[in-house]
Amino acid sequence: MRGKTIAALLLALSLLLALGAAGCGGDDDDGDGAATEQSEGVDEGAEPGGTFRTATDAFEWTGNFDPTGEYLATFFGLYQNLLGRTLMGYNHVPDAAGNEPVPDLAEAEPEISEDGLTYTFTIREGVMWGPPLDRQVTSQDVEYAFRRIATPALVAQYGFFYLGLIKGLQEYSDAGGLTEDPEGNEAIEGIQTPDERTIVFELEQPAGDFVNRIAMPAAGPVPEEVAQCFLTAGEYGRFVMSTGPYMVEGSENLDITSCDTMEALDGFNPNQRLILVRNPNYDPETDTTEARENFFDRFEMTLNTNAQDIFDQVRAGRLELAYASEPAEVVRDYSTDPELEDRYHINSGDRTWYITMNLTQPPFDDIHVRKAANWIMDKEGLRRAWGGEPKGLIAHHIVPDTMLNGVLEDFQPYASEGDAGNLEEAQNEMRQSKYDTDQDGICDAPQCKGVLHVTRTTEPWATMAPIIEESMAEIGIELNTRQFEDSYTIIQTVKREVPIASNAGWGKDYSDASTFMVLFDSRTILAEGNVNYSLVGLTPEQAQELGATGTIEGITSVDADIDACNELLDDERLECWADLDEKLMNEVVPWVPYLQGNADFVISDAVSKYVFDQSSGDPAWSHLAVDQDLQQ
Amino acid sequence: MGRYVIRRLLWTVLVVLLVTLLTFVVFYVMPPGNPAIRFAGKQPTPELIAQVEKQFGLDRSLPEQYAHFLRRLFLGDGTECPLYLRPACAIEPVEEFVVLETPGCATGVSGCGWPGLGMSFDSRTAVRQELIERTPRTLSLIVGAAVIWLLLGVSIGVLSALKRRTIWDRLAMGFALFGISAPVFWLGLVALWIFTVKLPFAESMGTGYVEFGTDPVGWFTHLILPWTVLALLYAAFYARMTRGNLIDTMGEDYIRTARAKGLPERRVIFKHGLRASLTPIVTMFGLDVALLVGGAVITETVFNIQGLGNYAVQSAVSADLPAMTGVVVIVAFAVAFMNLVVDIVYAYLDPRVRYS
Repeated sequence: MRGKTIAALLLALSLLLALGAAGCGGDDDDGDGAATEQSEGVDEGAEPGGTFRTATDAFEWTGNFDPTGEYLATFFGLYQNLLGRTLMGYNHVPDAAGNEPVPDLAEAEPEISEDGLTYTFTIREGVMWGPPLDRQVTSQDVEYAFRRIATPALVAQYGFFYLGLIKGLQEYSDAGGLTEDPEGNEAIEGIQTPDERTIVFELEQPAGDFVNRIAMPAAGPVPEEVAQCFLTAGEYGRFVMSTGPYMVEGSENLDITSCDTMEALDGFNPNQRLILVRNPNYDPETDTTEARENFFDRFEMTLNTNAQDIFDQVRAGRLELAYASEPAEVVRDYSTDPELEDRYHINSGDRTWYITMNLTQPPFDDIHVRKAANWIMDKEGLRRAWGGEPKGLIAHHIVPDTMLNGVLEDFQPYASEGDAGNLEEAQNEMRQSKYDTDQDGICDAPQCKGVLHVTRTTEPWATMAPIIEESMAEIGIELNTRQFEDSYTIIQTVKREVPIASNAGWGKDYSDASTFMVLFDSRTILAEGNVNYSLVGLTPEQAQELGATGTIEGITSVDADIDACNELLDDERLECWADLDEKLMNEVVPWVPYLQGNADFVISDAVSKYVFDQSSGDPAWSHLAVDQDLQQ
Repeated sequence: MGRYVIRRLLWTVLVVLLVTLLTFVVFYVMPPGNPAIRFAGKQPTPELIAQVEKQFGLDRSLPEQYAHFLRRLFLGDGTECPLYLRPACAIEPVEEFVVLETPGCATGVSGCGWPGLGMSFDSRTAVRQELIERTPRTLSLIVGAAVIWLLLGVSIGVLSALKRRTIWDRLAMGFALFGISAPVFWLGLVALWIFTVKLPFAESMGTGYVEFGTDPVGWFTHLILPWTVLALLYAAFYARMTRGNLIDTMGEDYIRTARAKGLPERRVIFKHGLRASLTPIVTMFGLDVALLVGGAVITETVFNIQGLGNYAVQSAVSADLPAMTGVVVIVAFAVAFMNLVVDIVYAYLDPRVRYS
């Protein structure tokens, strides 16, 4: 009797636990989908004033806030919204309109010569440097920025967008740039400044996206009287001067008498904080409200190593916005709680997350295996690992739909029911592969076993790994998953010959598909730091030089397609990129794209205006406002 | 004793050097990738990578890199130090490793100087400056927690030993079991949830570090929770250790003799019993404090105290090699130094111990 009682109690306890577990977790598939729609922002009557407070769990500056070297999207958003103006800029709004370059420092769009080789910009009158410079921005300031880009010691991480394109810039760089020419006296053939407001660029070849490149922070003006003291990568980041509506706190105290007298600005510490205050020299008449509205008086971004605490503080009203990756439970709370839903904003991040396959390494050197991988992959499972629908749309091709104006929205070459994988189609494809020796739809050659799969140690990749393994196992490919802290360096090294990796993602540099297609350009393949992970277009000569082995003959190249698209403009250009995307997914198949990543942000109810900035993939800081009465 | 101390200090220097060599091998030699690639951008070109390698000194051979590290450690940052980080009082270095000679200059508020720990790959700031800023935060955390865990742990241990097999003993050991079992990160998150989310009036106990000089009250209130959370685990260990040692000691013949001589029980326990049973506690205490210098990672992360432990993890994740080796130097020195302090205190506590 006693034993039966105990057994009954245990059974009851098990049932209770099972019920409890069933009530927990789960994904957002059963939600009403409201949280997965693109956010239209918030506008509850914005008033000027107040301090906008945000926190991040990691700054991760790539160039220590030096515009010449930075490639981090965080920096782009902050700089272009608040700190610096470039010849061309953006309106910092969502969707396609936000990706369209508009005149910023320039008073109008450039005059472009017939042959597309000469671009002439005129700088607006009245755009001033903030204190302590207190002077008009000139064309020489813009030219100086390009001298910095061409200075090897400054490690311009986007320098390749300009070197080799602007006449004479590569030669200036080869000669050492400002390191050898500190006064900036050596002429650069392709940059002329006939007067203080005019700057002319001459190009080596036409570039349909030159205006986009000019809109990048590295191409923004830099004051020589300050920056000349900082000719090592990252140093100028502690002294960034403002042409925008805000400046780094403490800028007015910078003693520019000499290099010896300058001390790092109080308001920026690369490991702790960024504090911006209004630039007294900013004239809104030289700007547009479409681009910048500048509501708050002060901006604070601080570091908080506890990501959960950041979200708790937003909920408690002690911060206005969480600039950190949301833990899964936060995503769940904000996307299912009616009281929190309107504080959770989701927009397309113009980013694709993908699994990359090496075209030289078995079994992925066979296109049928690559196609089978696309058919079988449980993409919905991978998205759940990320946090479900709020994290993005299932990706079916390379370039995010928002960057192609939706031209390829219906292009789903490997669609499956619920995006959970299609075993039948995968097996049909596998049967055509040389690695399916008995043509039963299962990869059974020795090369199908113990295939190295590289991924990250962190989430969601750790959770994704078994999903990928299971999917591939269904078609007979046994993966040997290895997780690395520094997984990117592993897959960027050609000699390591990684067959398949799931740690990769790519976001735009600016809104042109060329910034994605660079990943398939064989001319960018490097021994180290390589981003063409699939080695598309690799030639046998390159393979020999780089030490790559495996299948190195007959690898399809799309270099000519890329070159052809690069010369086009506007709709023709867009259509060309879309065609190339289709070609890559049908005829080359280097990836299994699985997620078009969203940019999602949580705000407090003290935010009276919220807008998303499509160009940077971040909040449009220049349009945000706070209701001081609701702040804690 | 004086000669012993000097000899131990020299050994400390040797130990630190050996640890730096080991660290160098682990972080500079063994990793599979080229750290320069991480800092050369999204699409690094060979030229960019080469430039970064040159700026970081990674273009030198490994023995040269280690030799450079040692020279810099002993002679100062020298010309590696950017102008804006050099003390205003500094003499312009004319050679790569000339020590900044102006009296009081090397220990001024500037980031660079002596010991030279190089520039962070990540933030391009002087590692020395980062460590100077972060060390007080870590020390604030450790010292406060150490006081709490010593007082709490020893008191509970004594109570438990003296009231063996009573309800007090059970409660004390139950506390110890909880303290040892509960993960620090869980304790920290629960504490934050209770005190900063559910109890809004306790907002002042939130995350972050407040400088003592800026706001002493804020410094204290922001550290109460991390002190308590960090101390709980160690208090539990120390309670168990104290209980066990005191029970053993109280059974010794000399304790019986002391009681027979008519000494008050309080004196028997605290002067004779506890003092003898504290020697292993002292040893443990020294090591625990030293290891926490770079090891209080979880507490620092949960409570956003940007100290040395947090810096060590950040640096490891971002492959910021000078920062990592800088933290290792500090921690190694702290461990070796605390070992020496512990040995000296040991000699005081136990008259049988003498150093020659």
